[in-house]
Amino acid sequence: MGALLRSLEGKRVAIVVGSGGVGKTSVSAAIALSRAMEGGRTLVCTIDPARRLATALGLGSLGNAEALVPAEAFARSGLAPKGQLFAMMLDVKRTWDDLVARHAPDAATRDRILGNRVYQQVSGALAGSQEYMAMEKLYELSTERDYDLIVLDTPPTSHALDFLEAPDRILDFVGNETARKLFAPAIDAGRFGARLLQAGTGFVAKTLSRFTGSDVLSDVGDFLGQFQGMYDGFKERASAVRTLLTQPEVGFVLVASPSPLSVDEALFFHDHLRKAGMPVAGAVSNRVTPDLWPFPGGLPGTEPVAEALAAALASAGPGTEDLAARLALTLQEHQAFARSDAREVERMRRGAPGPHVAVPRLPGDVHDLSGLAALAAHL
Amino acid sequence: MSGSELLDRRLVVVTGKGGVGKSTVSAALAMLAARRGKRVLVAEVDARERVAPMLGGRPSGPVIREVLPGISTVDVDPRHALEEYALMVVKVRAIYQAVFENRVVRFFLRAVPSLAETLMLGKILHEARSETSGRPRWDLVVVDAPATGHAVQLLGVPRALLATVPGGPLRRDAEWMQALLSDPVRTAIALVSLPEEMPVTETAELDARIGKELSLPRGPVFLNAMPRELYTEGERERLRAVLDAPPPLGPAARAAVLQAEQRVRASAQATRLRELVGRPLIPLPLLAFDRWGRRAVERIADAMEGQV
Repeated sequence: MGALLRSLEGKRVAIVVGSGGVGKTSVSAAIALSRAMEGGRTLVCTIDPARRLATALGLGSLGNAEALVPAEAFARSGLAPKGQLFAMMLDVKRTWDDLVARHAPDAATRDRILGNRVYQQVSGALAGSQEYMAMEKLYELSTERDYDLIVLDTPPTSHALDFLEAPDRILDFVGNETARKLFAPAIDAGRFGARLLQAGTGFVAKTLSRFTGSDVLSDVGDFLGQFQGMYDGFKERASAVRTLLTQPEVGFVLVASPSPLSVDEALFFHDHLRKAGMPVAGAVSNRVTPDLWPFPGGLPGTEPVAEALAAALASAGPGTEDLAARLALTLQEHQAFARSDAREVERMRRGAPGPHVAVPRLPGDVHDLSGLAALAAHL
Repeated sequence: MSGSELLDRRLVVVTGKGGVGKSTVSAALAMLAARRGKRVLVAEVDARERVAPMLGGRPSGPVIREVLPGISTVDVDPRHALEEYALMVVKVRAIYQAVFENRVVRFFLRAVPSLAETLMLGKILHEARSETSGRPRWDLVVVDAPATGHAVQLLGVPRALLATVPGGPLRRDAEWMQALLSDPVRTAIALVSLPEEMPVTETAELDARIGKELSLPRGPVFLNAMPRELYTEGERERLRAVLDAPPPLGPAARAAVLQAEQRVRASAQATRLRELVGRPLIPLPLLAFDRWGRRAVERIADAMEGQV
């Protein structure tokens, strides 16, 4: 067992973060698979719209429901897990709807909110909405289910901090008193809203409505008004989520490919997690080009390769020189990738001290259970 | 559409899965267009700026700046886009400050459905259609767009507004934005992919969403980081026999076999992607650069020559 998996022993929640395209989904699934192999009951939860995990786990569709990876899928890959592996794909819209249903005082309020145009946008397209719901779902799963380990594969976020900040940002708005008064002429009109609009704030609202059109403004007002009664429930829950994320049973896993950008992003996230008091369990440098020339002296040119080739193949033949030239070139190119990768791995290791594993570029993509098992062996 | 007329568009949006090389392709397209004498703007969208540094310049930030002759870059961010747009609407800076810099209003603006995306897209599209003395300000605007999900969100904004906003200035803007975006004469959405399983799957899905869900004009698909065909099957067999030979032969054979295997897998994925998207791809070479900068971008632009 590698350094990362050892560091995750005893954790109940692993949150896998990193920029897009670094293999977060595979790493997440491999972590969950590894614990399941040893007898754990584990869940991997992904949010990625490309349904990569579904492919990787041989499942048709995941859709916000936890599904057991069938025994046949393991058998096909020659694996015999002692425990169980579940997988689910987060449905952001449905998670919002469930949350509203959970907190709405009555069915009528619930339906009014679910039908509001602004709510539909907030729950579907608002920046940070995915991240917020990923955290919300994680909280629900960790408090209401009895998995030994839940692994959350986070969305390829364009702003890593959305995980930590989106819930507060969204809730600060929906619960903001002044905002509610400002944009709630529709619900308050019968009472004192009209007067409010004429005084002071009217200027702001009027200018804004020139900007967005007044209908958008009153939609926002309706939404805020309806949301009023549920705000405390949401807020409490968001703060519980935040508390959960600082518990020792949780471990963040940083994943980066050995590219400057991906490492920058991972280290940026690392620093913010540390500042927020959230436990980092380890870091993964994924898809690292192996160093094939750890020898003193420079890389060989065509000639020494040609000589060695002729000696080894006995029948040198006409094409040998040409083949040797290509071999020397390929080795040089390979080592250029390896050097650049090694530099980034080192930066990751220094920047995020603690358990670190470097996973070599594996032959072929990881897209089935045996591929995941091979990946897990490096973690 | 094949790639051949891509640079004759006014607006080329470059998107794809995270980490496939969108910024490199955007920079190379700009370089190629500039070689043909075009004035190009590359717009990044609220990103850690990459294009200007890749071309050897300083990041431009929110203000358009020329980084190479004929190539300007900008990083469009919601705050500055809002300020510019709001000033166009309210005209007076004092009013702008009183209204838009109000803390509560800031909350509001962040939560208004897709406002940030609208403003950023609006700013970019405005550049794409703006003229100075009767002549387009830019011959070509290249958008280095966000990755898959966020790109669909961004490009879907005018459509979503048309569906939800009944009237007002926002709707009028959404109308011209959608007209420009969906016009196949002026606009193309170019995709970038890698010859690997997951990126291919995601590219095919994204391509279908752009066509069916967003009804936007699909441009060429760039297949980035394609390894060269260097070794015949027979050579590979011979090399496998000497993998454990002492250096220099063993390591060289290992590098060659890894390269050859990568090439075989990449070719299979290229075929798969071509079949899934139903049109030819534009392959771009996998380059062994220790550091990725202007020289690498130039090589990619060279490889695009004759294909776009």
